[in-house]
Amino acid sequence: MHYVIVGGSAAGINAVEAIRSLDREGKITIISDEEFPLYSRCLITYFLAGKLAEDKLKYRSSDFYEKERVDALLGVKAERLLPEKKKLILDNGKELTYDKLLIATGASSQIVEAPGSDKEGIIGLRTYGDAQSINARMVRVKRVSILGGGLIGLRAAYSLHARNKEVKVIVKSNQVLSQMLDRGAANLVRKKIEEKGIQVMTGLAAVEFLGGKEVTGLVLDDGRRVQCELVIVGKGVRPNLELVEGTGIKAEYGIIVDDYLQTSLPDIYAAGDVAQAKDLITGQSTINALWPCAVAQGRIAGLNMAGKKVKYDGSMAMNSVEFFGLPVISMGITRPREKEYEELVKEGDKNFVYKKVVLKENRIHGMILVNRIEQAGVMGILMRKKADVSPIKTMLLEDRFDFAKILPIIKEGKELFAEQEFEESIISY
Amino acid sequence: MEKIFCDIRKCLGCKSCEIACAVEHSESKNMFKSIREEKKSRQRVVVRSTTKEPFPLRCHHCEEALCVQACMSGAMYKDERGVTRHDPEKCVGCWMCIMVCPFGAISRQENLALKCDLCPDREDSFACVEACPTQALFAGSWEEFKEKLGQEKR
Amino acid sequence: MREKEKSIDKASQELLEIAEKEGIDTAWDRYEAMVPQCGFGELGLCCRNCLLGPCRIDPFEQGPQKGVCGATAEIIAARNLIRMIAAGASAHSDHGRDVAHTLLSAAQGKTKGYGVKDEEKLVSIANELGIKTNGRDKKEIAMEVAEKVFSEFGQQHGELQFSHRAPRKRQALWRKLGIMPRGIDREIVEVMHRTSIGVDNNCESLITHGMRTALGDGWGGSMIATELSDVLFGTPRPIRARVNLGVLKEDEVNLVVHGHEPTLSDVIVTASQDPQLIELARKNGAKGINLAGICCTANEILMRHGIPIAGNFLQQELAIATGAVDLMLVDVQCIMPALSSVAKCFHTKLVSTSPKAKFPGAEHVEFKEEEALSIAKKIVGMAVENFKNRVKEKVNIPDEKMDLVAGFTAESVFRFLGGKYRATYRPLNDAIINGRLRGAAGIVGCNNPKIEQDWGHVEMAKELIKNDVLVVVTGCSAIANAKAGLLKPEAAFQYAGKGLQEICEAVGVPPVLHVGSCVDNSRILITLCNVVAEGGLGDDISDLPVAGAAPEWMSEKAVAIAFYFVASGVFTVLGNPFPILGSREVTDLLTRRLEEVVGANFAFESDPIKAARLMIDHIDGKREALKLRPVMYEKEEVMVK
Repeated sequence: MHYVIVGGSAAGINAVEAIRSLDREGKITIISDEEFPLYSRCLITYFLAGKLAEDKLKYRSSDFYEKERVDALLGVKAERLLPEKKKLILDNGKELTYDKLLIATGASSQIVEAPGSDKEGIIGLRTYGDAQSINARMVRVKRVSILGGGLIGLRAAYSLHARNKEVKVIVKSNQVLSQMLDRGAANLVRKKIEEKGIQVMTGLAAVEFLGGKEVTGLVLDDGRRVQCELVIVGKGVRPNLELVEGTGIKAEYGIIVDDYLQTSLPDIYAAGDVAQAKDLITGQSTINALWPCAVAQGRIAGLNMAGKKVKYDGSMAMNSVEFFGLPVISMGITRPREKEYEELVKEGDKNFVYKKVVLKENRIHGMILVNRIEQAGVMGILMRKKADVSPIKTMLLEDRFDFAKILPIIKEGKELFAEQEFEESIISY
Repeated sequence: MEKIFCDIRKCLGCKSCEIACAVEHSESKNMFKSIREEKKSRQRVVVRSTTKEPFPLRCHHCEEALCVQACMSGAMYKDERGVTRHDPEKCVGCWMCIMVCPFGAISRQENLALKCDLCPDREDSFACVEACPTQALFAGSWEEFKEKLGQEKR
Repeated sequence: MREKEKSIDKASQELLEIAEKEGIDTAWDRYEAMVPQCGFGELGLCCRNCLLGPCRIDPFEQGPQKGVCGATAEIIAARNLIRMIAAGASAHSDHGRDVAHTLLSAAQGKTKGYGVKDEEKLVSIANELGIKTNGRDKKEIAMEVAEKVFSEFGQQHGELQFSHRAPRKRQALWRKLGIMPRGIDREIVEVMHRTSIGVDNNCESLITHGMRTALGDGWGGSMIATELSDVLFGTPRPIRARVNLGVLKEDEVNLVVHGHEPTLSDVIVTASQDPQLIELARKNGAKGINLAGICCTANEILMRHGIPIAGNFLQQELAIATGAVDLMLVDVQCIMPALSSVAKCFHTKLVSTSPKAKFPGAEHVEFKEEEALSIAKKIVGMAVENFKNRVKEKVNIPDEKMDLVAGFTAESVFRFLGGKYRATYRPLNDAIINGRLRGAAGIVGCNNPKIEQDWGHVEMAKELIKNDVLVVVTGCSAIANAKAGLLKPEAAFQYAGKGLQEICEAVGVPPVLHVGSCVDNSRILITLCNVVAEGGLGDDISDLPVAGAAPEWMSEKAVAIAFYFVASGVFTVLGNPFPILGSREVTDLLTRRLEEVVGANFAFESDPIKAARLMIDHIDGKREALKLRPVMYEKEEVMVK
């Protein structure tokens, strides 16, 4: 049995572990276009900030591939896929024949389409390579413009602020973190980062980049000019779908997979930022390009590839981040549009506290916690299990809410909360 | 796998387990000295309450540990015994673990995640279980615990 | 707990919301943070009396069943309980001692701020104490009375004078059981002795002495406080007033007195009416000086002067949170050290006055009897000066206030029931005998965040009066019922049963009678003595169709009060139990066996309606034993039973 995995990040690595948990003999080959292996992409901003040494970037130990007996082809790109022949052609000319294939090619930073966007110094922030490029320029950089107020944008802002650069964040929307948070929570985050000296400019976009070979500034859509020696593009990612073009594998935003993470062609699976799977909360087919989702998908794809049929419940939008000591967690739908959602909010501006729960038919469909994040996981399990929270609805946002308060719900829903650890909790209740 | 269980009917909320845990994880491992240590130790088991009874909230060292899956730096991991461990060297305080732990058993101490580690410095016992004056806390396997509860019913 | 579940009082609910918004933590928040509270403590199974410990008895019988000295659950629980009695009795007795001292100082001419207001009562007490009164100056009489009474605190042998007011049968029982108190302080000291390591290790013996100590409070310290306060400040008469946070005024200086002793609050009443100070207030932009009280000291000045009450125990922080209190003046007991944290968020000055009671963040202006009036005026002046520092945007006075009638005493029963021609208890006894009244009950005690504020008191009162039980109230319970409108005469038509309604209508009183502060629980004892003496309802207090209750108690004083009522023969129901349930024997003794000894038991029931039912059943039982006529307007449902 030859398992081939294209992509060596969260999904790929977890797929390896999953396969090996069931099949210690089968051959596994992993192909990654990055030379620098086995690192956690999420740690790049910490590395850039100077808070984490390079050796701490490792997600798994350096001998991981050796220990798991994986043939790792690093710095190599898979160029063409021939599903009828079960062949994969690499950019170094080699050909691989697979029995089971996992496409975990991830996504790449969106590029900005504007005059001058090909100048040097306009960089995304996703890979180790990006971090290296940025580091190489640091000495000449005084001012940084960040395009995009999402997680990448703000994390990048945080990193460069930590390197003592003057940072401006340019956001198209009228709030930061518009995918993750609602207005109330976003305002607290904005207040916190502005307190520290990061400038946030909302409702604006960059329309032109200035300078010669190197960028020296940009022009906003309101006509103002911003001077900067570095532009970081945090405008989201787009899935790397090149490999499936022309293969007949169904793809929309990403590669469409079923409940077992299999694509429309047999023996070919997809997982991670490139995969379009079911969303646990909305039920829609979507990409939640988040580390924990990629981990789960890689793991379950691997199990299915190795012969154990394991159903994937679906991905859930979830984010956890901290800015200057202010932790923020959000899950699911945080800004519901339709009327049938019920929103409960608790605010305490004075101490940067914000709590919100979004309900539909007494089930939690979304939540935001700013500062008081301790019980996020308890809300999370209620979300994932789609439990009816009416008995404790009024308690959800109170400081005293915790796991002990949901014991009655677990007791009532034994089939729902089937894992042994829940039984352990309620056996004497 | 040996871990900690609780018969909550016997828990009186005295919090001896909390104190014992904090002391065990302090530098001096002595109660009177530990409360004066500069970097105060913290308990990893916390006695909360249901609407009526006390409930010691603890890490269950889940078989399918969601915190290990969510951890983006590999700081949360399973050791050879199956214990869910945390490496503070690798932790960046992203709180993904807190985001996914169904029990809320992970807390924050400054920039690091904090949770039960099943007392790695002890040979054969857990500090909280030893300290419990009503023997509500039990150290053993799930089978052993179920058997004990069954016996006591009789 | 949402605001609505924390209190039935709308004013509290409003202020709790404001407190939450402003990030001010209250007793309710601190209680939630404290939960779960240690079960060993709750069960009375923790002993810290010596360093062999601290010891814990395991109620699940797996761990130790004896402390290091060998004390069992019975011993530990009983010891802990009577120490609570000692503490409660100490508080009341010190209060009595202070009042006696004030009378003595006044009689000796050492202070201008006090004098004898009720000469009639002084003479009556003097006669009772065997002191000559004919042709003597009231100051002379007062001096002798004060000295005699004072001596009872330190006396070593003999009996307490006021304990002779009890029915002969009751006194004989006390003597037979060896629980006739010998000296007020002596009994309290003996509690401390008996409960220290290696002394009294028998729970019956401990509880018996506990009863003696409590009796030394009820018929000693508390009664002295009540009687001598009447002498000094006037015996209360029925009076109209208002209650709840809405009594605070936006355009006047708000001075709130909190604590217990009328020696302070009564003089403040005088000082606050000083024309010079009122003029000063006007100069500072206020229309006048508005005095209001919290807790028992509020009850004292309410009963005698009709001063409005701002709130009861759990509202002390909330009063400050209205932003309208210019000065809160405190003396002793039930004052939360948390007050200064709340005061800090506003312009409110917190002033302590007793050398025995210092508080963090409070300014201390020590109150000395000799300079009573001048110190009182100084403090009122401080309040007036602080008025201009009020921050208008932070003022939130809830629009909640209720009318009430208070001022009932054991004497007033004579007066209003007897009418113009004969001052007598006959009509009251007759009403009970012929069934128009089923009986009487006393609801007393504190607030506790463990029970929705005021719910326990009010629901119980309503259930009792609905069943033709006349209710008397004191302390924070009185304030709770007043806020709910039960102290208005009209309340009889809204809530009382037909029999009680008829009486209230005839006499012109509310169905729930406010008889005063917590030391004024002694008024209830006196009333019961008078009822027995009047005749037709047995010959001991334990024969009477009466019951007592403390639905929301928290203080050790409540333990002392509950014990002196039971030891005097009155069945008493407590909301939350005493911390003794860890000992089966002590629980059994107090809830079942005590009746055989002193003619009354304790019961523990936190649901006020169920508790009221226990009291009604008990009262019915007493009626039956006395072979009284059935209750005139018995409720249908009960008859079908």
